[in-house]
Amino acid sequence: MNEDRRSFMKKAGIGLLAGIGSAAGLFPALSLEKTVFPAWDEKPEPGKYRWGMLIDTRKCSGNCKECVAACHFTHNVPDFGNRKDEVKWIWKSSYENVFPTASNQFQSPEVTERPYVALCNHCAEPPCTKACPTEATFRRWDGIVSMDYHRCIGCRFCMAACPYGSRSFNWRDPREGIKLASTDYPTRMQGVVEKCNFCSERLVKGLDPACVKACPEQALVFGDLNDQDSEIRRILESVETMQRKPELGTKPSVFYII
Amino acid sequence: MTLIKKIVLTAAGLLIMAFAGIYAFRYEESSAEKPAAAAGAADSSACIASKEYMKANHMRVLGEWRHSSVREGNRVHVAPDGRKIEKSMNTCLNCHSSNRMFCFNCHMYANVKPNCWNCHISPMEAP
Amino acid sequence: MIEKALKGSRNYWLWIGLLLLCIAAGFSAFSRQMWEGLTVTGMGRDVSWGVYIAQFTFLVGVAASAVMVVIPYYLHNQKAFGKTVIIGEFMAVAATIMCMLFILADMGRPDRVLNVLLYPSPHAMVFWDVMVLNGYLVINIVSAWAVLGAERKGVPPPAWVKPVIYLSIPWAFSIHTVTAFLYAGLPGRHLWLTAVLAPRFLASAFAAGTSLLILVTLILKKTAGYDAGNEARQKLAVLAAYAGAANFFMIGTEFFTAFYSNVPAHMHGLQYLFFGLEGKSALVPWMWISVIAGIGSLVVLLNPKLRQKTGWLMAACGGMVLSIWIDKGVGLILGGFVPSPLEEIVEYSATFTEMTVTLGIWAVGILVLTMLLKVAVTVKKEQEA
Repeated sequence: MNEDRRSFMKKAGIGLLAGIGSAAGLFPALSLEKTVFPAWDEKPEPGKYRWGMLIDTRKCSGNCKECVAACHFTHNVPDFGNRKDEVKWIWKSSYENVFPTASNQFQSPEVTERPYVALCNHCAEPPCTKACPTEATFRRWDGIVSMDYHRCIGCRFCMAACPYGSRSFNWRDPREGIKLASTDYPTRMQGVVEKCNFCSERLVKGLDPACVKACPEQALVFGDLNDQDSEIRRILESVETMQRKPELGTKPSVFYII
Repeated sequence: MTLIKKIVLTAAGLLIMAFAGIYAFRYEESSAEKPAAAAGAADSSACIASKEYMKANHMRVLGEWRHSSVREGNRVHVAPDGRKIEKSMNTCLNCHSSNRMFCFNCHMYANVKPNCWNCHISPMEAP
Repeated sequence: MIEKALKGSRNYWLWIGLLLLCIAAGFSAFSRQMWEGLTVTGMGRDVSWGVYIAQFTFLVGVAASAVMVVIPYYLHNQKAFGKTVIIGEFMAVAATIMCMLFILADMGRPDRVLNVLLYPSPHAMVFWDVMVLNGYLVINIVSAWAVLGAERKGVPPPAWVKPVIYLSIPWAFSIHTVTAFLYAGLPGRHLWLTAVLAPRFLASAFAAGTSLLILVTLILKKTAGYDAGNEARQKLAVLAAYAGAANFFMIGTEFFTAFYSNVPAHMHGLQYLFFGLEGKSALVPWMWISVIAGIGSLVVLLNPKLRQKTGWLMAACGGMVLSIWIDKGVGLILGGFVPSPLEEIVEYSATFTEMTVTLGIWAVGILVLTMLLKVAVTVKKEQEA
């Protein structure tokens, strides 16, 4: 373990030298994320908010990967370069993979050949939280399906339960797969499941999720589904949208404009 | 017969011990003393509680913070003097930032290996 | 009484030594897995459960099948089962221990296993499975040990044993039902999302577990000179045959529903397992071996003339165990993951490390069974003498 830690420190471009340096006044002290006191004063009221996302796939048709890169950097998602150990929070996939039960007969090739962004749906009726034997994954007060990495036992029941393939397991020490570490967010450890958290750490600061901010086409809209006047609700009511596998009754909070 | 009795009694005893252990542990967690207002607040005015309290109970404070911020969304700690502080390990680390070894000095000396740094970026690793 | 497991012939100790060797190998492979992570197994993002969970599923069935001797002996007073009932119960104990070890081996953080009890979650089927499996282990070890102890002293078993044994009957059904519910309630895994999974689990368990029990009695007859009696074996063979028939009938109904309805998602799992999907067909030979071995064994077990011959009986029981071991221990779990919920086909194959851990856990179970049966046989022989 120590060996791994040392290599991680090296990879992140730091180490004891930095410590000595800062002691000698060469470097500023810690540059961990500064904690500020924001507006979220009280304990949240359960059920008041339900965060949701709308993906306008008409705008998201290029081969850019800004959303994926921003998310994976922000959250220290490792990349091992192989499919077996793969960890991902958000990714681009094909029409038939993202919407396997949607009709694709006589569909315009422009639609079926477009890439589609997939991420955790933060379902209102999540099968994964039901399957979790320790409540390490649970639906939060604001509709986010959250992970408590401190509690996860790594049984992978949530992975079997998720009908969207949104969950990844840390088959090995994730720090070995992080080339450029972000100091603003923790990593995970070997043996726990992880997934998209709708950037809950940014939401508390009043910021939009990293993918939404990174999208050069403004194809992602984020907002409160419980607020009738929110932008996302206005669009949902004016345009035809779809969810992934709605027939399973999971009530996803991520919507797509095709 | 006696052997059976012994086995049954041992099994029952073990079960009781296991449950007692589990619930004693939980009880301890939930009834942890809140940082006292009076003692020693003056000589460490920046910290949420006295040096003595924090020395003995920092893990308990962190455990409570973890539970209420991760699971309940209650991210604000109100210190005895009324100051509001974000419940985050970074709150501690940013304040105790003059010494990168702040956590490690003691932990190494006492040979305790908390698993915080398996995930959280430790002061030693921060640039 | 346990000291009787410490006195044995040279062959007994050779056997124990061999098992210990396998356990040591398994343990070293497990240490490697702990150190490097589950990446050393064949499991991955798409097939996130493998041989461990599959063995677990098979062994819960073996554990549950103890009722196939408990019901006739204790409920229907069939004296012929008098000498097999203890074997069945001890087999259940060993199988339950293996189940727990397989779960531990599969966990990413086995150091946190107590979280299941610290944060009890009744909405999770795993929580119930942990409860019923532990309960079943206690019930079987306590009741079997009490009955055997009484027998050694030549006194009737204490009065409290009877209710405990009766409790073990519904409990056995519960362990395999809950195990089926682990899978049968997950949306998006169409091979598992079927109400017939729990009954099918019970049927296949009673076929494979009972066949395994027959094999164990034959081995005991040969190695320890303890014969549980041909009458019991014949009756068990009939039970195994009918349970096997019920199992294959239910597999047939799965095929009908999937293929007649023509719903793609329902067909995909079965297509992958039995015919191959999009050119991926690693499990096809396995599944057909399972079908052929199972039906062949069924025919032999149903034929009174053939099953009377020890050679045929052994072959048929072996075939039945193999068939259901493949069906549950290979096909069922992997078929639930292929194709993935995103309709991608990624195949799985177990690694050497994974197989060594599996071997080690089997060796632990066989060691427990050997020692328990050694005690039982010694006590029974002393009584006969």
